[in-house]
Amino acid sequence: MTPTDTYSGPAIELIEVAKHYGKVTVLDRVDLTVAPGEFIALLGPSGCGKSTLLKLIAGLDELSHGEIHIAGRLANYLKPAERDVAMVFQNYALYPHMTVRENMGFPLKMSGIARDIVTAKVDEAASLLQLDAQLDRFPDELSGGQRQRVALGRAIVREPYVFLMDEPLSNLDALLRVEMRAELVRLHKRVGRTTIYVTHDQVEAMTMANRIVLMKGGVVQQVGTPAEIYATPANTFVATFVGSPPMNLFKGRIEQARFRGAFDTAVPARVMPGDVTLGIRPEHVEIVEAGEKEALAATIDLVERVGPDAYLRLTTQGRATVTARVDGASRAKEGERVALRLPPARLCFFDAAGNRMIVDKEG
Amino acid sequence: MTAEQHARIRVRQRRRREFGRHLVLGLVAFILVAPFYYVLLASLKDSTEIFSYPPKLLPIPPYFGNYRDLLWNTGFLRWMFNTFFVATSVTVLKVFLDSMAGYALAKIEFTGRRLVFLLMIILLMVPIGALIVPLWSMVSGLGLINTYWALILPPLANPLGAILMRQFILGLPRDLENAARLDGLSEFAIYWRIVLPLIKPGLVVLAVIIFTDQFMSFTWPLIATTSDELQVLTVGIAAMRAHGGANYGLWSASAVMSLVPIGVFFFVLQRQFLARSLAGALKQ
Amino acid sequence: MGLDARVMPAAPSGRLRLAPEEHRRLSRNRRLKREVLGWAFLAPMFLCFVIFLVLPVLGTVWWSLRSGGLAGDTKFVGLKNFIDLPDIVGASAAVTNTLVFALISVPLILVGALAIALLLARIERGGSIYRFLIYFPVLVPGVVAALIWLFMTNVDFGLFNGVVRGLGGKPVVWLGADHALTVLAILDVWRNVGYWALFFVAAIIGLPKELYQAAELDGASAFARLRYLTLPLMRRIIFFAVVVATIWGLQVFDTALVLTSGGPGTATTTVIYRVWLYMFGATNKIGVASAISLVLIVTILLLTLVQMRLLRGRRGGD
Repeated sequence: MTPTDTYSGPAIELIEVAKHYGKVTVLDRVDLTVAPGEFIALLGPSGCGKSTLLKLIAGLDELSHGEIHIAGRLANYLKPAERDVAMVFQNYALYPHMTVRENMGFPLKMSGIARDIVTAKVDEAASLLQLDAQLDRFPDELSGGQRQRVALGRAIVREPYVFLMDEPLSNLDALLRVEMRAELVRLHKRVGRTTIYVTHDQVEAMTMANRIVLMKGGVVQQVGTPAEIYATPANTFVATFVGSPPMNLFKGRIEQARFRGAFDTAVPARVMPGDVTLGIRPEHVEIVEAGEKEALAATIDLVERVGPDAYLRLTTQGRATVTARVDGASRAKEGERVALRLPPARLCFFDAAGNRMIVDKEG
Repeated sequence: MTAEQHARIRVRQRRRREFGRHLVLGLVAFILVAPFYYVLLASLKDSTEIFSYPPKLLPIPPYFGNYRDLLWNTGFLRWMFNTFFVATSVTVLKVFLDSMAGYALAKIEFTGRRLVFLLMIILLMVPIGALIVPLWSMVSGLGLINTYWALILPPLANPLGAILMRQFILGLPRDLENAARLDGLSEFAIYWRIVLPLIKPGLVVLAVIIFTDQFMSFTWPLIATTSDELQVLTVGIAAMRAHGGANYGLWSASAVMSLVPIGVFFFVLQRQFLARSLAGALKQ
Repeated sequence: MGLDARVMPAAPSGRLRLAPEEHRRLSRNRRLKREVLGWAFLAPMFLCFVIFLVLPVLGTVWWSLRSGGLAGDTKFVGLKNFIDLPDIVGASAAVTNTLVFALISVPLILVGALAIALLLARIERGGSIYRFLIYFPVLVPGVVAALIWLFMTNVDFGLFNGVVRGLGGKPVVWLGADHALTVLAILDVWRNVGYWALFFVAAIIGLPKELYQAAELDGASAFARLRYLTLPLMRRIIFFAVVVATIWGLQVFDTALVLTSGGPGTATTTVIYRVWLYMFGATNKIGVASAISLVLIVTILLLTLVQMRLLRGRRGGD
């Protein structure tokens, strides 16, 4: 019986977690509360501090400031093994001098669990991950996907309170990555443990996570469900980092309920006048008949066909570049002159600092 | 047609160059190795044959008197034992101590480790031969002159091993030790069960370096021992040369016999020996 | 990087659940544990290092300021030993001999090694055999090597004079005052050329191949490739070899003792040889012995520092 069995509060609480190396700030006062069983993705470009945060939670690095609570216990001063967490590393970190069975059973053996129980648990995890046939092999005799599974298995056999995963799929080829993604989600549903998953791949984060923590430069930009992050990005960074192709952004001014910049278009009346950045997702850009109300004349520079969709790279008369996402069957041709419309209800507005302005759409 | 001819000329040219290189290298190798054949030859001749001119190029019939002399009438076997005993002890101790120090320098953040490392680098090249005055007075002050300890302890000071081990251990992926930490291993267990098995090739190279250096070392053993019982091979041979009168047959037999073990080692561990040459590059 | 724990609670916000003092105490404890751990791992080797290397270096300084013998009763004489050093015939001769020795042997070793390496790196077959043969003399203890050479340089029946006679020349007294130091240096070349040859081979193999292919396309001759590619690319490596080979050369002792007993006269008495004589000879000049030791140590330290600066330069001030 671990103390966590009767605990019912948040699984993980981060309070003002900061990390400095000398004068360089890698993490700046991160606050986060994770509910039990949640699948959280730490998403961001490389160097954003997401891996550092994961290492701090695991206890592999020391905090400069703040507190980490795991299952209600202050974890700052606990050794990694005392935190009841298991980690899957980017390069798997399998012990090359041990067989798959030894690798998976090692943490249990180290905590003094009887050999027959270790064997049973390893067998169980191996069959769950379809590794039964590989148990007596060494890591360098396995394929990338199999190594990945062994790394997972090593974490699973410990039945930890929290799973920590550091870009576990980034070394797999594209096909295998999609497959493992689904498998990880299945696994999470099955064992139901709190999971924190570091990735730089927005697709992974969007498809797998209950909530995404988007980071940049050591600062949390936004915390929310994938849908929230996509629909209401907190700032221009989030707007462009999530979504492919990224959101169109245009700098300009709001005057008399109109956006004036490289082009001129109507916006909802409630938007405050002043300097803004206007944003719209490519799929919300409408291609319309010339002469329609609020239509902007544009030329198609480039048509990228990606199967079901086609991406149009357009230039307006005011030399603004707009990306539109249209049906893959579209007959649009490069060099063609078209008209486009930016529906006011679909527009996002960001202030001079790049932060999202709250606009009451009803107004 | 012409392209084919060109190609043929090219191949011929390449072959000719390759042959030239073999010729020069063969000559160099011959010059470097000839002295060994010369001394082997001499060791199989009796004293009159050695001095005869022109020399015989093949020792037929071979004369084994020099070897008999060497093994039964000199302390050769004793010297050999001492050399092996000391070199093995130093190697085992040093591989252990150096790998531990290397682990600390590579993986543990403690105050002063940069300073320690710098000091080691700076003193890396200072030879034991330049320190014999204070070393002798210290070791004799400790009452260790004419003991095995006097031969074994001072060589442990050489920082090369710790520096090499640090380099090797720095090359290990950080996540491996992190995984071990999460698996609940103590710091010593990480060193013992994860790091040591993974740097085994490095350990073998280090062991080869230490053992051969020890096998060849002369200055300190000469000074640290005065008793015949404790003479190592190099010191014994030097003493034989200094006191025994000119006995070329015996000398050459001792030269041959002392090269046998190192030659066998070299043959078995050729790769590691050659890595010894590269250790220099790592010395930074 | 071990410092960050000290920055702990920068500005207490009241949201942390543990008091700042508690945080400070706990992180201090953890830091202390890490310190103890680091030093525990380091200590066994480091103690040996301090006792048998750092202390003797300092001891050399101490002894060099005193006069007297190993038997005891030494007294402080200040810098007298150093001031007298140039006038003590044995000592200055030892320094000169050692320098001349290094000046002959080091260039020969390195030029020879480089030449061998350039050939060895380019042959297609049989490289390992040559490596084995060329490296073999490296593994011969100096004492044994000297014994072999003692034999070969014998005036009456040695191999050298055999060759000289075969070529119709007059026998040479190899270990006489004229040639002894040179022979000693050549012996050193024989012992060390293989080591540096293989060192250079490794360096040459590590050079970027594309550069050579490009040069060949540009029509550069073999000599031009050597002159404008290989040598410039290996400049630092070669410099490293020069420094290390010199440092090793300055330590010559065992071969001199066995081959020539430092003679004839003091023709092959090297620095360490002289130190040894001063220590155990009748003269009992322990202070002078330490003074020349110190000169050797300081020379080596200076060479090491030059080396470090250079290597540091390569890594861009890391």
